[in-house]
Amino acid sequence: MRRASPPHADAAPRPPGLRVLLAPRVLAARNALRRGRAKAAVLMLVTALFWVGSFVFFERTVSYFQTITALGPVLTQRLLVMLFVSFFAVLVISNVVTALTTFYLAADVRLLLAAPIPPRRIHQARFVETLVASSWMVLLFGLPAFLAYGVVYRAGVLFYVGTIATLLPFLVIPAAIGVLVTTALVLAFPARRARDVLVVATVALAAVGYLALRLLRPERLASPSEFAGFAAFLAAFEAPASPYLPSTWAAEVLTALLGARPGAPLFYLALLVTTAAVLYLASAAVVERLMLSAWSRAQEGRTHARRAPLLGRLLPRLTAPLPRVPRLLLIKDVMVFFRDASQWSQLLLLGALVVVYVYNFSVLPIDDGTPLAATLRDVVAFCNLGLAAFVTASVAVRFVYPSISLEGRVWWVLRSTPVPLGTLWWSKFLVAFLPLAILGETLIVVTNRFLGVDPGLTAVFMATLLFVIAAIVSLGLAFGAAYPRFDTANAAQIATGFGGVIYMVSCLGLIAGVIALEAWPVARLFWRRIDAAPLAPIETALVAAAFVVALLVAAGVAALAQRSALRSLATLQP
Amino acid sequence: MIRCVALRKTYGSVVAVNDLDLEIETGEVFGFLGPNGAGKTTTIRMMVGILAPTSGTVVLGGYDIREAPEAAKAQTGYVPDQPALYDKLTGVEFLRFMGGLYGVEREELEVRGADLLEEFGLLERAHELIETYSHGMKQRLTVAAALIHRPKILILDEPMVGMDPQGGLALRRLLTGLAASGVTIFLSTHSLGVAEELCDRIAILDAGRLVAIGSLHELRERAAERPELEPFDSSLEAVFLSLTGTSGGQV
Repeated sequence: MRRASPPHADAAPRPPGLRVLLAPRVLAARNALRRGRAKAAVLMLVTALFWVGSFVFFERTVSYFQTITALGPVLTQRLLVMLFVSFFAVLVISNVVTALTTFYLAADVRLLLAAPIPPRRIHQARFVETLVASSWMVLLFGLPAFLAYGVVYRAGVLFYVGTIATLLPFLVIPAAIGVLVTTALVLAFPARRARDVLVVATVALAAVGYLALRLLRPERLASPSEFAGFAAFLAAFEAPASPYLPSTWAAEVLTALLGARPGAPLFYLALLVTTAAVLYLASAAVVERLMLSAWSRAQEGRTHARRAPLLGRLLPRLTAPLPRVPRLLLIKDVMVFFRDASQWSQLLLLGALVVVYVYNFSVLPIDDGTPLAATLRDVVAFCNLGLAAFVTASVAVRFVYPSISLEGRVWWVLRSTPVPLGTLWWSKFLVAFLPLAILGETLIVVTNRFLGVDPGLTAVFMATLLFVIAAIVSLGLAFGAAYPRFDTANAAQIATGFGGVIYMVSCLGLIAGVIALEAWPVARLFWRRIDAAPLAPIETALVAAAFVVALLVAAGVAALAQRSALRSLATLQP
Repeated sequence: MIRCVALRKTYGSVVAVNDLDLEIETGEVFGFLGPNGAGKTTTIRMMVGILAPTSGTVVLGGYDIREAPEAAKAQTGYVPDQPALYDKLTGVEFLRFMGGLYGVEREELEVRGADLLEEFGLLERAHELIETYSHGMKQRLTVAAALIHRPKILILDEPMVGMDPQGGLALRRLLTGLAASGVTIFLSTHSLGVAEELCDRIAILDAGRLVAIGSLHELRERAAERPELEPFDSSLEAVFLSLTGTSGGQV
């Protein structure tokens, strides 16, 4: 009998091809598509609609710019530069965040490192994964814009070929930068800290960008005289067109190919391609030499929680008046929240949102001295009640709705201890209700002050909002318990799920209902001021009854949602 | 001390636990064995009140887990199969939190917490975030948390998984000591050696049904009646394989 020859342990096997290494992602995407065909169809339809809408928008804008004889060509070119600058900034941030996961935090990196795969091949596979994951969104947004340019300028085939040839190196450059920055970050900090640094930096950037955009007062563009000034400003805006930025090179290639003005497209394309090649090779060399050391660092975590953090000292004192269990749960929830950068950093965005909200009311042009101004102010004040409730609901969907899911696999701790479900519910309710009530009431008080609303009416709005917020929080816990997601610890991902969407819709329904119920009594109170006549006793009773009914509706929703939450919590199984 | 009466759990047409009856005395160390998917964890989750049974009752220390859940849970410590904890709390913060939920007074909590952390070799890393702990350390912290309120009943679901030999030995010693002091221990384990060493009585569950219950000696006698079992092979492993209808040749 012939014996099978023993395997040669010392013979190095042929390294797996890129296809093998990318297969898990490709197969997972294919399986997801196969299992959710309806979802994929809806997604494709929405994408198609977005593309059409986006194309129409850019086609109109570029066409309009062309009609402005003096500034037209410059504006078109500047718009292209600004598009590329925005894409480049988004791509760099997105690639850094993605590369951190694909190269250092993903669970399968361990498998790749343990397998007989050369580091260069690992770099190639992870680079492609990072590039695709970070760039598809930009392509989704960008392609209709480039297409619109081609259509408006009646560009030939060369423009479209040139666009593809430009986009490829343009996407590779931020991906390579992302890999290099991530590796440096992981070498400097343990990966969990690096992730925290990235999360906070990204959210802070978004908040600053949002603030900057609002404080530029884009509403001025609605005025023709202001727009002319803005257009001139845009045309003279030199900063983004730095000759050292890949975004400028990409815009130069396309501007020349469009025939907007003469240029040297081949030179700029060569700049893009060579820069992309150099950066790609640099990232390969760095990863090849340092990936193992960086990955080893990535296994470390922040070890020491500061022994006596300010919060740890303050919280027990601040919560001393509360009963034992709600107090413990509140302290636990707050500590966990402030130790998780992906959670507390959202407060930066929330801060920006509040500043912009209040700022909007401070610059509202409604106090122009006309007799209509007072009425307009009252109408805005009433709408403000709905808006403040809407802002609170938006915050709740991000913080309250995921709170049950975030207990996740630790749910056993709360359920196996002798704490009644009702107490757990009240604790979760209080933890969410108190900050949201402070937020909502502050918004109402400050903005009504800007609007000069009557203090009595402000008090009515404050009482209404308090009940509405209680209902919003209670609904958040009910929907959170009914649609729990234990597959992710990412609160933003939980909030954008199916349950989060119907929760938001329910909140909007509640707000609309309460506003509708209060519309008549509020209008009656406004008219009374205009007529300068007191309300008849029966009218006063009706106005009071309408307010009470609105409050009762909100309280009823809160109570029903509480019952529903308790039922769901009793059967919750992470 | 622990009583399960006609305990049943179904998921649609699948019967996970089929009319289980158990009675465990005070101070007894009771082993709960069975192959994967036999229904052990489902049974334990119903016992500690984190899963509602389809029918039947569980009584812990005289309290029905469904009718008086707080009273039943107050005298029970639970160690789940997966040590899922709050990653962003430190070990000492987690123990304080758990003790607080069970109503342990602050002064006693500090002393008891420090003792347990020392006993389980966690004192040095007590102020580090749990997310930095190894699986074994998390498992030890879970056991420490289950003991923080000095329970009369301790229910453990695979507590040895992921523990190093020192940790395993310390836990076995601890369980023996607790049983000697009158704590009732319900231990689900895959380690037949541990069951053989620690348990006064053993129950074997297979496909949701109780296939055997008794002392090791009684189980051996029952298994010996099975013709396929080698007469000289009286280890718990042989008894287990015989009673659950699996042989070493099957995977």
